[in-house]
Order: sequence, then C-alpha cells, then structure tokens
Amino acid sequence: MDTAEETVPRRTDWQQERRVDRKRLKQNIPYFIMFVPVIVFFILFKYMPMGGLVIAFKDYNFADGVFGSPWHGIGQFKTLFSNPQTLQIIRNTFVLSVLSLLIGFPFPVMLAIMLNEARRAWFKRLVQTLVYLPHFLSWIIVSGMVVTIFSTQGVINDLFAGWLGEPFAFLYKDGSWLSIFIGSGIWKGMGWGAIIYLAALSSIDPSLYEAASMDGASKWRQIFHITLPGIAPTIVIVFILSVGNVMEVGFDQVYTLQNSAVFEISEVISTYAYKIGLQQLQFSLTAAMGLFESIIGLVLVVMTNTVARRFGQGLW
Amino acid sequence: MKPTFGEKLFYGMNYVLLSLIGLSCILPIVHILALSFSDAQAVMSGKVVFWPVNVTFKSYENLFIGTNIMNAFKNNVVITVVGTALSMACTIIAAYPLSRRDMYGRRFFTMAVVFTMLFSGGIIPNYLVIKSLGLLDSYGAIWLPGLVSVFNMLVLKTYFESMPLETEEAARIDGCNEWRLLIRVVLPLSMPVLAALTLFYAVGFWNQFMNVLLYLNDPMKYNLTVMVQQMIRSQSMLQELSNLQPEDVMNMTSETIKSAGVIVMILPMVIIYPFLQKYFVKGVMIGAIKG
Repeated sequence: MDTAEETVPRRTDWQQERRVDRKRLKQNIPYFIMFVPVIVFFILFKYMPMGGLVIAFKDYNFADGVFGSPWHGIGQFKTLFSNPQTLQIIRNTFVLSVLSLLIGFPFPVMLAIMLNEARRAWFKRLVQTLVYLPHFLSWIIVSGMVVTIFSTQGVINDLFAGWLGEPFAFLYKDGSWLSIFIGSGIWKGMGWGAIIYLAALSSIDPSLYEAASMDGASKWRQIFHITLPGIAPTIVIVFILSVGNVMEVGFDQVYTLQNSAVFEISEVISTYAYKIGLQQLQFSLTAAMGLFESIIGLVLVVMTNTVARRFGQGLW
Repeated sequence: MKPTFGEKLFYGMNYVLLSLIGLSCILPIVHILALSFSDAQAVMSGKVVFWPVNVTFKSYENLFIGTNIMNAFKNNVVITVVGTALSMACTIIAAYPLSRRDMYGRRFFTMAVVFTMLFSGGIIPNYLVIKSLGLLDSYGAIWLPGLVSVFNMLVLKTYFESMPLETEEAARIDGCNEWRLLIRVVLPLSMPVLAALTLFYAVGFWNQFMNVLLYLNDPMKYNLTVMVQQMIRSQSMLQELSNLQPEDVMNMTSETIKSAGVIVMILPMVIIYPFLQKYFVKGVMIGAIKG
C-alpha cells in the first residue's frame, strides 16, 4: 500500500551521516511519545484477539481461561466440517457474501456512469444527495423499514393486492428473502459506492468524447470504449478490496433481517457466533469458525491481488 | 453540435432512470414518516402510502411516555460525542508519526497496522479480551475496540504526506517543536479532511449496534439502535403499553410506534446530512486517491 517510501538523504562522508542520524534520533523521540498509545491500542484490541484465536485449538472453559484450558488439537475443526449444521452455516456465509458481491458490484459503476452523463448540474446534485442518504442509515433502520414495507400487512402487499391475490409473505420465503437481502444491500450501498467512480470519471479527458462523437460513435460505444476503460483501474482496486471483505457479511444486516422461517439460508458465522458462541458459551467451536472465516478472507485478498498484479494493477 | 435522435433518447432515458433511483431512496422514508403520523386503524386497513391518514401524534406521545427512548437518545449522544473525540485524537497521533519520513520503523508499523485490516480475531476472541480487561457493561467496550479505524488513519496519513515540506521546515527553523508543529501548523491545514473523518466516526458511533448488543447488558445503557431494534423485534412492547394506558391500545398498532422510533432515530441524521454532504464526499475522494 505504501509506495511513497522516501530515502533518508545520503551523505558520502560517514561523519556527516552520523550527525544526521543523531538528529534523526532526536526527531524521533516526539514521534514515539505520540505513537506509544497507538501501539498499546493495536496490541490490546487487534493483536491480542488474534492471539486469543488459540482457543480454536483448545477446549475453552471459563474456569481455566484462555491459557489454562486443555488443548484439543484440531478437534474443533473436525466437528466444524462434519456437523451438517455448521457446514450449512459456512455455506450460507459464502453464498450470501458472494451473491451480494457479484450482483451488487456493477450497480455503483452503472450509477456513476449515469450520473456522469446527466448534464443538468442541479439534477445531478439532487440525485446525488438522495442516493448517498441510505449509507448513513444504520442497518437497524433499513431493516426496520424493509420489514414494515414487505410484511404481509405492509404497503407492498396492499398496493399489489390485486395482482397477488392473497398477501405474500416476502420475508418468510427463501427466494424472496434472499432477493430482499441482496436488494437492500444494493439500495444502501449503491450511491456511496458510486462516489469513488465519479472521482475516476472526472479525470477522463473530455477531448476523447469529442473526437469519438466527431467520428460518429454512439453514446453506447463511447461508454464501452472510453468511459469503462478509463475507470477500469479503479474498478479493479475496488473489486480487490471487496473480495477481501467477502467473508464479512455484515452482522448487522443479517441479524436484523433474518427470522426463524429463513434460518436455513440466513444463519451466518457472525450471527451463529453471537447466538451459540456468546449466549450458549460454545467459545472454542465458534472461534474456530471465526478463524476459518478470517483465513479464507486473507487468502482471497492475496489471490485477487496476485491476479490483478499480473494485469499491472495490484494493490501491493 | 446538434444532438442526434439516439443521443436524445439516451439522455431522456438516463433522466428517467436516475429520477426513479433517487425516488427509491427517499420514498421508503416518506412512507415510514406517514405511518408514524397516521391513525392505527388507517394503517391496519392499508390506506397509508405516502401521506398520513387521520393525522395523530399518539405514537410519538406513547413512544416518549411509555418507553425510555429519551434515555436511549441521551446515551446515543454520550457515546457519539465522547467516542468521536477519542477516536479523532488517537487517529491523529497514529497518522502523524507514520506520515513522517524520518520515523524509525515507519514501514514496519504501517504494515502491522494495515495487516489488522486484512486479518482479525473475530467475535469470540474480541469478546474475551473485552471481558478480561473488565470493560463489559461499560461504554469503554464501545469506544475502545474501534478507537482507530485503519482506513481513516490511512486517509489522514496520506493527507499529511501530501503537505508541502517547506511549511514544516520554516516552522522548525522558527523553533517550533513537534507538538506545536502538529497543533499549530499541520492540523489547521488539514481541516477539510479532519471534518470528513470526524463525521465518519460520528456516524459510526451514532449507528453503533453490534458492540452494544455484545458487550452491554444493562438496558439503561442501551443506545437508540439497540432499543429501536428491540422494539421492532418484540411484540411485548404493546403489552407494556397496555399496562400504562389500556384505553389507548385500541387506537395503536405497534407498527405506528415502530415507525415513530425509526423516525426519531434517523431525524438528526437526515437534518444535518445535506449540510455535511460535501465533507463526506471529500473524505471518500481523499481515500480514493490512495486506493
């Protein structure tokens, strides 16, 4: 990530070099005074939990704590991959996140291109203001609205009563729940995701469009041959980052949207960890699941980056 | 140049689609607003769409009298204000040293910090750490785990790095020490990005849900998010109210109270959002340049 690495000024004379070093050392004291609380924070709240992952290889109990609990080898992982319930949860985590990513990913790109083509500035600004708004609402609010709107007594069922015949339980059927889940994700994230592409679009040279227009290229051709190639590097980078987060289907979204009728497709690792891990004290098993989740995420990010680097657009 | 028929069609379609997308973002909120001001009977019979029917303030009355939403609102303010201040302070003292080119181990520390973005312990180990630090059931458990967002820190670091070195050199020659340099020179020059990050943190704390759910047990410490979520989940709400004012329950559905709860929660956000929009966008842009 860090490409702007600077070199310390080089001197050929070793004496001068030493003087520079002493100056640099003195300069570093205030940096480290500032930085110590930050180091403490990262060790306590980021690296200690990583160390705490050892309980995935133990049989954790409260009396003995993280260090005292007996070792259990890869027993937890054996349970994880042999129990149909946990397998289903891992599968759900994959399915929900991969579907959200693949279906949701093109929407911000399309929206950005559309906004870029809107010529009236006031209209563009108005639409931007509206589409960024959902990003600031918490999932609890979004889910609350979704549940109200799509419930059997909700406005969708009222409005389409004529077509549907009897009220349709959108939230209790697997297929419609999945569509609502993915759709609500797109609704919330689309506008915000478009900002980064809008920034990339504004850096495309307008003379390219003029030339293409002179040559009689239609709007569609211009989009496919100028706009999309122009923002391709941005698209790749955003894609790598999204793949890195692929295993993190948001706890908030799933937890607030799910209900007992669709547990079979909606229970994911994080919600399971909360319900079974924390509330029923299955710490080691759910920690093993979490570890699995994190490792897959890391592997995916490294893999996508390797592929992207082959095309000359890697992150590192 | 005169637009061709194809272009006209293209622009026309574009305006129509964008209008539909824009409307889809605001209409659900309008619908909830209409529900919250409507009479329960009208809601039940499905008459309310975008305009309240038989306007009444009953749901808000019941919300403020029958539940401790005021307390939750106050908790939200405390969590947001203190949390944002702490996070901003720590993000600055993390980003500043890492942006200095002569810091020892700069590369190592940057990598160590970025690594936490790619790999994390997960819910259970986090919980055990919070528990062993004795932070359960205190706001420390809300403020501390997310004290420094690596993404925000990188945005600020990039911004600091892009500052012209001459200003700093001049200040140093004038005898400015590192702290004064940071507070008097660097921070005032970074106001736009600081504003953006402050808002990012504030929104994050205002909407905080998972940590409150995981780490707090005392209902009096709950924030609006968890309270509204519980209202949406539980139908026992209605029974609670019926003990308070039995005669009103006839006129109530929990639907209208839920809607009122949702509105109370998003109101502050919706009111300040249009004014702050440009700062948010700026923050994302600065982050985007770095990639």
